[in-house]
Amino acid sequence: MDNDNPHSLDRYHRQMLLPGFGEQGQKRLAASTALIIGCGALGTVAANMLARAGVGHLIIVDRDFIELTNLQRQVLFDERDVADSLPKAEAARRKIAQINSQVRVTPVIEDVNHTNIERLAATGEYGRADIIVDGLDNFETRFLANEVAVKHGIPYVYGGAVGTVGMSYAILPHTEHGDSPWEKAGRATPCLRCIFEQAPPPGMNPTCDTAGVLGPLVSIVANYEVVEALKILLGHYDAVNPALLSIDTWANTTRRLKVARAYEVGECTCCKKRSFEWIEGRYSAGTTTLCGRDAVQLSATGENRLNFEQIADRLRAHGEVKLNNFMLRAQITDVNEPFELTLFNDGRAIIKGTKQPARARGIYAKYIGA
Amino acid sequence: MSAITVQIPTALRSQADGQESLQIEGDSVRQVLSNVCQQYPDLGKRLFKSDNEINRFINLYLNDEDIRFLDQLDTQVKPGDELAIVPAIAGG
Repeated sequence: MDNDNPHSLDRYHRQMLLPGFGEQGQKRLAASTALIIGCGALGTVAANMLARAGVGHLIIVDRDFIELTNLQRQVLFDERDVADSLPKAEAARRKIAQINSQVRVTPVIEDVNHTNIERLAATGEYGRADIIVDGLDNFETRFLANEVAVKHGIPYVYGGAVGTVGMSYAILPHTEHGDSPWEKAGRATPCLRCIFEQAPPPGMNPTCDTAGVLGPLVSIVANYEVVEALKILLGHYDAVNPALLSIDTWANTTRRLKVARAYEVGECTCCKKRSFEWIEGRYSAGTTTLCGRDAVQLSATGENRLNFEQIADRLRAHGEVKLNNFMLRAQITDVNEPFELTLFNDGRAIIKGTKQPARARGIYAKYIGA
Repeated sequence: MSAITVQIPTALRSQADGQESLQIEGDSVRQVLSNVCQQYPDLGKRLFKSDNEINRFINLYLNDEDIRFLDQLDTQVKPGDELAIVPAIAGG
């Protein structure tokens, strides 16, 4: 075994034995970039396996920091990360560096929205991703990811999980000129909006807050995403599952929902009419209620970096304030209710202690200034 | 006329007395759903936007085929068929 050579493929021996991999396939993975949007339950599992499989560059984007209640299912994190209040993307980078030093990880601590998604996936400093892997917890951002995938011709693997039920589906998008390798192979698939025309409204479905989430379920769903991602990165489009997989791990049911005709029969705004409404920001919201937490996120207010020291000085009168290079966290009691306010240096904030966007905005305005 | 199985997703089971599936009679998807609405009016309110229109965030699969790509609500059903109500899963 040649452990000293940084390009050695020895560690991938068991994987290279598989049909469709081999040395060529392994080199292809090493030259690939995967954009993982969201590094929570699904994202940590996906990042872990993509790194172990030897995908050369992982861009991991997450807006959040690690909490004790994440450890039940978010496999890249540990108690030390909680104590250090690390952002998830950065903690993932550190962990993966220990797992596979051949893999380059770019951590991005940002909220993914219509203003930055094209830069992250296709047009910015990281170049064009070869695949987008879904580690998200909301449909707004998924529709954005889906539009970017269709607009820029990047495959996108959707995954979702709540309670004991999950779904996954690989999108090989129809592109503007129809000249992608998967279209030439006759393997393009309907996009996420062909299948789900509309996001379920708030309160329609259980969230991780109300229903909880089973740790092994998210591992199953995310690993299914990774399997499809590897097939796609290796160019084995014929092996990609054209069905939408729907699993209930408690009721012991697995469905392969047939969606292939959705593109031909449907009138999809996104992949058929090529109208990218989410990217244009027509549906963007300033606030997001965070899945699994009694918390609301407020989007970044502008380009200016915040002065944490100054804000910390002001907030100390209200309660305990902690800060590091990435964030400022303050305990605040407002109208006899305790809140935890976490501020990131791009102006984004997470207000814990409420699920009401208006209440969260109010607290932000009162203590930070809108 | 005999019954088909209607699968209820976890999210909507509280509107169907907690049942995972229902046995409902009908010749078409429309008739089956109309009977569902009669027996479980609260569930009906979650499924339908108006009398003739299903909410766009609800997908209906008859034997794992999306009814939008069959004959929509007029899709015929036969005994033993399985109609699954499938909402998008958002968590993760």
